[in-house]
Amino acid sequence: MRIVFFFCLFLTSYCIAQQKFTLSGYVKDASNGEAMIGATVFVQPVNAGTSTNEYGFYSLTLPAGTYTVKYNYLGYKLVTEEITLDKNLPTDVELVSEATVLKEIQVVEESDRPTAQNPGMSMNKMNVSVMKKIPAFLGEVDVIRSILLLPGVSTVGEGAAGFNVRGGSVGQNLVYLDEAPVYNSSHLLGFFSVFNPDAVKDITLYKGAVPSRFGGRLASVLDVRMKEGNNKKTEIHGGIGTVFSRFSIEGPLVKNKSSFIVAARRSYIDILARPFVSVLKNGGALNFYDLTLKTNYNFNDKNKVYLSGYFGRDNFLFDKNQGFSWGNATGTLRWNHLFNDKLFLNQALVFSKYDYSLQFGGTEQNNFKWKSSISNFIYRPDFSYFINSNHEVNFGGEAIYYTFVPANATGTTNGTPVDVSLEKKYNSEISLYASHALKINPRVSIDYGLRYSSFSLYGPGTQYLYNDTVPGIRKRVIGEKTYSKREAIQTYGNWQPRFSFKYQLNENSSIKGSYNRMVQYLHLISNTTASNPLDVWTPSTANIKPELGDQLTTGYFRTLTTPTAQYEFSVEGYLRYTQNQIDYINGADILINRYLEGDLLSGKGRAYGVEFFAQKKTGRLNGWISYTLGRTELQVIGINNDNWYPTRYNQTHNLKVVGFYEINKRWSFSTNFIYTSGTPTTFPNSRYTQQGILIPYLATNARNNVTLPSYNRLDIAFTLQGKEADKSGRKRKNKDYWVFSIYNLYARQNPFSIYFSQVNDQTLPGQPLLSQAKQISIIGTFVPAISYNLKF
Amino acid sequence: MRIKRHIWFFLATGLAGAGFLFSCEKVINPTLQPATPVLVVDAWINNKTEKQIVLLTMTQPYFDSSLPAGVSGAAVSVQDVTDGVTVYHFTENPSVHGSYEWTPSSVNFGTIGHQYKLTILLNGETFVASSYIGRVPAVDSITFSQQGNNSNSKTIKYYGQFWATDPKGPGDTYWIKTTKNDTLLTLPGEINIAYDAGTSIGGDADGVVFISPVRRKITPRLSSNQASTDSPLILGDSVYVEINSISLAAFNFLGQVITQTNRPGGFGQLFSTPLANVSSNLSNVNPSGSPIVGFFNTAAVSGRGVRFKKVSNN
Repeated sequence: MRIVFFFCLFLTSYCIAQQKFTLSGYVKDASNGEAMIGATVFVQPVNAGTSTNEYGFYSLTLPAGTYTVKYNYLGYKLVTEEITLDKNLPTDVELVSEATVLKEIQVVEESDRPTAQNPGMSMNKMNVSVMKKIPAFLGEVDVIRSILLLPGVSTVGEGAAGFNVRGGSVGQNLVYLDEAPVYNSSHLLGFFSVFNPDAVKDITLYKGAVPSRFGGRLASVLDVRMKEGNNKKTEIHGGIGTVFSRFSIEGPLVKNKSSFIVAARRSYIDILARPFVSVLKNGGALNFYDLTLKTNYNFNDKNKVYLSGYFGRDNFLFDKNQGFSWGNATGTLRWNHLFNDKLFLNQALVFSKYDYSLQFGGTEQNNFKWKSSISNFIYRPDFSYFINSNHEVNFGGEAIYYTFVPANATGTTNGTPVDVSLEKKYNSEISLYASHALKINPRVSIDYGLRYSSFSLYGPGTQYLYNDTVPGIRKRVIGEKTYSKREAIQTYGNWQPRFSFKYQLNENSSIKGSYNRMVQYLHLISNTTASNPLDVWTPSTANIKPELGDQLTTGYFRTLTTPTAQYEFSVEGYLRYTQNQIDYINGADILINRYLEGDLLSGKGRAYGVEFFAQKKTGRLNGWISYTLGRTELQVIGINNDNWYPTRYNQTHNLKVVGFYEINKRWSFSTNFIYTSGTPTTFPNSRYTQQGILIPYLATNARNNVTLPSYNRLDIAFTLQGKEADKSGRKRKNKDYWVFSIYNLYARQNPFSIYFSQVNDQTLPGQPLLSQAKQISIIGTFVPAISYNLKF
Repeated sequence: MRIKRHIWFFLATGLAGAGFLFSCEKVINPTLQPATPVLVVDAWINNKTEKQIVLLTMTQPYFDSSLPAGVSGAAVSVQDVTDGVTVYHFTENPSVHGSYEWTPSSVNFGTIGHQYKLTILLNGETFVASSYIGRVPAVDSITFSQQGNNSNSKTIKYYGQFWATDPKGPGDTYWIKTTKNDTLLTLPGEINIAYDAGTSIGGDADGVVFISPVRRKITPRLSSNQASTDSPLILGDSVYVEINSISLAAFNFLGQVITQTNRPGGFGQLFSTPLANVSSNLSNVNPSGSPIVGFFNTAAVSGRGVRFKKVSNN
């Protein structure tokens, strides 16, 4: 807290000087009152500008005078206001959406602050309206699958949960849903994500130059913001897709004061299949559902409270007593408070839990039950101090309390239960941060900050001591020490400097660069090809050190504006070194293992690459091209003869082309094409037998010595808007649209993996064993889908 | 640990059965990196009244489906380290290249509780490995159970299980081998190992009847030419169950072998672990000498065989 106090003192020194006044307020969508995140506010003739924060708030402090202020957001009509700033001026603005279809000529206003003028870099934003246009697998709009189309983002394959950013692992992404961390963002493995598109407003992905207020993961922060709910009129959205049925209702509770949204989804394959599949008739289940809720109350101009929650689950039950299930639950209570026109405070109280359970051997006498969870409570105050148009300070703190339940497990044999549970783990992570965005002159602006985090593991618990052995083989326990309740077992502290700069070459182009250090105290323990629901999060201990990552980025950004269209180009390079990256001994036992730490290895990582991005933002034909050339490697003593090896998610080339075209008033077309290099895998080169068992052998003892064939795929979708008028010519009250899509249009069988095995037949003694290689394509065909969406 | 493999298998089959019709799997013939052959030792010997064999071969290209070539001209011996006297000399069978054999005359190989050392002299190099003979419980009985409805004989499936009790005292490790109608079950999914009466270290299953997943794993897997509706056992089958005591190193080795060889297909590939070499307890006394793979284990064996005539109530 002392640091915060110090900063406050430091800031007051700015507040002297000439007569200045503050223009501040909220920018909202005129149609539904939703706060607009990242809307730009541009003031002429002084060329000062800012953009709205996550709550739609902006604040600009300028010398007294007369100004022209332009409020802008892509796809919305520009609002221009002439103001006389002779006192502090609270100004809320509502922007009106452009006519949604057929913008023959869209004049691009110069005051739209393009990427080249934004201070941020290594960041991508995507509005849910864009996501809804992207051709989707089985017609289901999906947040995670949409961000896979951005530069620097990749996946190991279809069905794989999560995403990889700039060569980071799935567990190195911090995924927030309304400020609550989501520990497993997938439904049905990785085919769908937990975010209901009807309840999502927009997303921001930070891949580098991460602001000081974020911390805790090495590779990225995905910030998903939920809608607040229409505060002008009640709206009902519904959708019937191939997988999900969706329903949401939103509207005002107290007009212009309070609104709500409730959105639900449920898969219904099981309901349709129940009459035909005996498993489902006998108590089995296959379903996933989620419920997203949010409400807010605007007490007055200075105080606004938001309450949001999420609950979702996946169930796979083979019968009444056997199967597995997993899900997230989150809750966020936020209070936005304006101390004055310049000082904005957001306080959040967050709860988040991820848990899974698994049960088999469906009798009372013989069964196995396992439950595991990670849950946490977070308190997070975040201050934004808008000093003037050249200075903005952000500071605050974060306190997290974690409870890990790695395994609450019982095996029952002949009615005798054996408890194989593991100890719970209790941790705290306390962080303080401050950053200062400074516009030195019209060309140069910088943003520097510092974050300090302290992570502790508390008793009751046992710390094991392992022998120092040949790296790469299982370490043996040679001692243990038990700790009592609330006793600190291990504490780590880390300073995390953040720095970024922008140098404006001219009005349309700039050079940016950044350095940041990230620290990760939680580790996703996963040694399988794709991350899966049973992967266990485990905290840092004396034997598992926090992961550290240092990333350097630099980029060139350019905007090209023609009378009819706006283009953006960027090239960004990144270089990240990581320490204490986790890998696993061969044959590691990561499930319900008290001595898990004995099977873990620690090493270094490096990831580097260049991202090219070109986007046409406006016009009937728009879209983007993204190309990433990258490499990500690990060096772990005990693996690959101690040499560097590419990670499982390394991809040399990663090309994505996304296009949207409005054919006419009712029909629009969208397509995306993806080409990526194959990911690395390990092939054997020889074989031998032991006691009649065929064993694959790689004489070089390498890891990831070959790459799979490349991946490529083309998807298309057509959207048909319902008629605006009914037969008698009256304007219809309802709006509806159909989406027809084909995923993997040319039915390519993209290999997910290739595996080697003995042919599965008994061989007569004295006969040679037969071996084979098999290639798996998770989606081996084209997948057509139709969905129908309704709003009234 | 095998309960955990069971978990993976459970997860994989669950998902594969979950109605995902889009995936496809095909046999391919990738080009593999060339490899220099390496000496392979297959030395699993026991105290049964039968010929004991140490087999020396070379590794072969992965897709080479011929019998591996034997390695002749080695001197192979096993020494009883505990008594310090007894040495078993294995001599090469002149008609089977690479097969080094020792046939018991009056007494069988080994003594329970003793340590053994394998020494192989070949082309001026010396390879060694150690093992011990652990105790082994008797197989008390083998029973059979039925799943499915009597009204529809096509749905009936028969499963076997053996009954035995792990002796008190933690740390016994076993390999349970099953022979069905004179065929030893050696498919990757049929390797059945136990730590005490359970499946993993720390399973707290010492000194009790083997737990259900171990007992039931004597049932054969269906081979690829059988329909999924076929019963793994049918009336009249003969089933012979043999418990081999194995060293802890051998237990870990077989655990790795299961991971590396029992590859789930289809959706299970999402959860497969990377391919890696399994360990070996053999070493070249000259660390910079020729590499070697394979395993040396000395076992005490108990066994029992029955013919499947009727279903019991278990």
